[in-house]
Amino acid sequence: MGAAPSASAEVRELEGKTGFSSEQIEQLHRRFKQLSGDQPTIRNLRKGPRGLAEEINFEDFLTIMSYFRPIDVTMGEEHVTQSRKEKLRFLFHMYDSDSDGRITLEEYRNVVEELLSGNPHIEKESARSIADGAMMEAASVCVGQMEPDQVYDGITFEDFLKIWQGIDIETKMHVRFLNMETIALCH
Amino acid sequence: MLRAALPLLGLPLAGAGAAEEPSQEPGSPGEPPPGLALFRWQWHEVEAPYLVALWILVASLAKIAPRVQAGLLDFLLFGSLISAVDPVAVLAVFEEVHVNETLFIIVFGESLLNDAVTVVLYKVCNSFVEMGPANVQATDYLKGVASLFVVSLGGAAVGLVFAFLLALTTRFTKRVRIIEPLLVFLLAYAAYLTAEMASLSAILAVTMCGLGCKKYVEANISHKSRTAVKYTMKTLASCAETVIFMLLGISAVDSSKWAWDSGLVLGTLFFILFFRALGVVLQTWMLNQFRLVPLDKIDQVVMSYGGLRGAVAFALVILLDRTKVPAKDYFVATTIVVVFFTVIVQGLTIKPLVKWLKVKRSEHHKPTLNQELHEHTFDHILAAVEDVVGHHGYHYWRDRWEQFDKKYLSQLLMRRSAYRIRDQIWDVYYRLNIRDAISFVDQGGHVLSSAGLTLPSMPSRNSMAETSVTNLLRESGSGACLDLQVIDTVRSGRDREDAVMHHLLCGGLYKPRRRYKASCSRHFISEDAQERQDKEIFQQNMKRRLESFKSTKHNICLTKSKPRPRKAGRKKKDGVANAEFTNGKPRDLGFPDTAAVILTVESEDEEESDSSETEKEDDEGIIFVARATSEVLQEGKVSGSLEVCPSPRIIPPSPTCAEKELPWKSGQADLAVYVSSETTKIVPVDMQTGWNQSISSLESLASPPCTQPPTLTRLLPHPLGAEEPQAPPDLSPDPRTSFAFPPSLAKAGRSRSESSADISQRQELQPLMGHKDHTHLSPGTANSHWCIQFNRGGRL
Repeated sequence: MGAAPSASAEVRELEGKTGFSSEQIEQLHRRFKQLSGDQPTIRNLRKGPRGLAEEINFEDFLTIMSYFRPIDVTMGEEHVTQSRKEKLRFLFHMYDSDSDGRITLEEYRNVVEELLSGNPHIEKESARSIADGAMMEAASVCVGQMEPDQVYDGITFEDFLKIWQGIDIETKMHVRFLNMETIALCH
Repeated sequence: MLRAALPLLGLPLAGAGAAEEPSQEPGSPGEPPPGLALFRWQWHEVEAPYLVALWILVASLAKIAPRVQAGLLDFLLFGSLISAVDPVAVLAVFEEVHVNETLFIIVFGESLLNDAVTVVLYKVCNSFVEMGPANVQATDYLKGVASLFVVSLGGAAVGLVFAFLLALTTRFTKRVRIIEPLLVFLLAYAAYLTAEMASLSAILAVTMCGLGCKKYVEANISHKSRTAVKYTMKTLASCAETVIFMLLGISAVDSSKWAWDSGLVLGTLFFILFFRALGVVLQTWMLNQFRLVPLDKIDQVVMSYGGLRGAVAFALVILLDRTKVPAKDYFVATTIVVVFFTVIVQGLTIKPLVKWLKVKRSEHHKPTLNQELHEHTFDHILAAVEDVVGHHGYHYWRDRWEQFDKKYLSQLLMRRSAYRIRDQIWDVYYRLNIRDAISFVDQGGHVLSSAGLTLPSMPSRNSMAETSVTNLLRESGSGACLDLQVIDTVRSGRDREDAVMHHLLCGGLYKPRRRYKASCSRHFISEDAQERQDKEIFQQNMKRRLESFKSTKHNICLTKSKPRPRKAGRKKKDGVANAEFTNGKPRDLGFPDTAAVILTVESEDEEESDSSETEKEDDEGIIFVARATSEVLQEGKVSGSLEVCPSPRIIPPSPTCAEKELPWKSGQADLAVYVSSETTKIVPVDMQTGWNQSISSLESLASPPCTQPPTLTRLLPHPLGAEEPQAPPDLSPDPRTSFAFPPSLAKAGRSRSESSADISQRQELQPLMGHKDHTHLSPGTANSHWCIQFNRGGRL
């Protein structure tokens, strides 16, 4: 990294925002440079539906990575729940492509289709029906018994939290940034 | 006696000391007395007697020190066999305790894999002892270390070879199902024997064999074989365990076999606990540097406390040669005591300990669809992140392995049909459906007050798990929980657990039971449920089909996916219907012979959906004319879904209602196209081809498209004509029920169908004309069922 004072001020700022240590930031920066080919931003090669960013710069990169930091369990109960919520919110946004705060059936279907797209033998129909089933299940978990004419719009974040209630997502959702020397140099 | 005198000695001195107190206190300069002190350290007063007492104590302790005459090597030998954790004991205890999987795997895995180490150490030390300590060279030590690797890796390799063999042979046993359990047992045992023969680690061989072949064998062998293997193994294991511990007990009583030495016994007991704890702490510390989820203190406590010694240690100590190891009898006694202690004391107390420490217990229930989906998404995300970061972590390697497995191993080792769709999400979905079907049957006829009759109710995991007694037992973890019992109750408990939500709107609800042979499913699913399921499937699919009609009106494309001539659900000879319609999964069960789709049409309470839908359907040009009979109405209202399906979620009405409430469905055509059998469809001419196509696709699910369409068209007008007069007035209020679907698929093979095959023709018309009660087909349910039998080909 540059030795310019402005750069290190930036680093400190990033440190504060994302919680990484400065050497982790440096390592991630190196990685970023690899991925982006020394451009300031990484181009999104996949033209997806709206909601996907065109390109991300290093700060965005860091922010996203910061979701995957291990939760510091010594920091206290409230901090832990807060981190957990943040991570789940990140996941939620991955599903919710139009960012309206709800995961509708369409979005869910897209997710399932993509999940199952790796398996060439399962067609879209099945993926759809799985998505529908999951949606109904989610509806029942979140809303309980529904009246015959009640309408379930989509999974909100609170419902999402409910679904994930029993599972320790925070313990699974982190990537160890410790041993960064093993970064593959090719890509 | 001296010891008894000590307190007496101590007292007078203490008393003398106490007498001096008052004089001392005011003597301490400057310090204000701290009020009434509850505790004061008065070492100098008891110093002398204390020291004397301690000295005598130590001296007497020396008396109980081990008097065993044994050299270092002997003790090493003893240490090697006593320190090994025993898989039998661990399994027996931990299975009851139900700790979370991580812990269980750690302790149990350790016990399995340490066999290699134990065997090697034991053999090495034994041979050293036999050679005599003087003759041991340095190279022998090195050889010992090398043999460690040879034994363990060699044993694992033998196991993997046999696993490969097993998986490969089971791939071809489709026609000879009966030999599958035999293959499994024999090849696994052969792995054990081969490893023994080569003096490799036999336990490791068997473990690796099981680990390696499970995935493929499970996919290849039939359900019955799986059950047979599972139960037999559990029984055999139970017997073996019992016999071993009985032998242990008998040896304990036979005092000619052992000699008691308190020092050795007590010392051993203390040290095994202490050193195990030490070892666990050290190794956990090391492991935590690399673990994603570190092992916390509680885990470590359970791990160290859960190290039970068992029969392996006993067997090894009995095998010692008394001439070479003169201290054998002492060792035997110590081993017996240690085994008893760990199994009884530690085994009994571990459960309260686990509860007290609030160790995370294992999850009893299977994951819901949502969880499974999320977890998969999650894995993908993590793998992606790891890739981005460039960190070759756990997910990365796991992904790589799965790719390799999918490309090469599975293709080689799994049967073609089983390999076709191997996806975890799919499996969960499939299993959930099966479970729904089963619970549907289980609850058939009962009105569960808790459930109510509304729609998607809570699929709470705890909802009805407690109703079954065995589940109660299981939950409380009582000792009455035998393994076999657990296997049984798991099924029924889980039936009652999740609500039957996974019943889908879009049909394809009950997937072809490619694993469940008809004969098996006969145990679990009654005939009624069969028909009911099929009916439901059918209805949903027809619904979809008709909705596609509507879409065809607007888009020219015909029924999109329906006429897919997939070899979808094949029914097995015995008549388990696979109504695999629209999802058209190419699930080919390898029974190309027959398929029967028995459609039971049930009168249902669908007024609300129907009325609105039929109106719209009117707009679309499909008119449903209800031919109502009062009985139908009555039956429909009274006995229909409301009563019959206490797990209302499976009930066919639910989809429609659910669909109504789920607005994302509203985009599609108004779905509940419940074409009642009393009604007829006046299908506009231009739709007729589409209609026929859908019908033929319906047939094609059962068999290659047969030449039915001509019959269809013939049949169609007939009922249509017959029903016209009754048209509109009956539209709205009727609980529109069954399906006026001219059955044209003939099927062979099913006894019932045979009997009714000839009346199928009549049956076709029956629903249209009069509602007959086909109670013989659906005895348990209300009399509002029609059975339309679709028979294949030339049976009409």
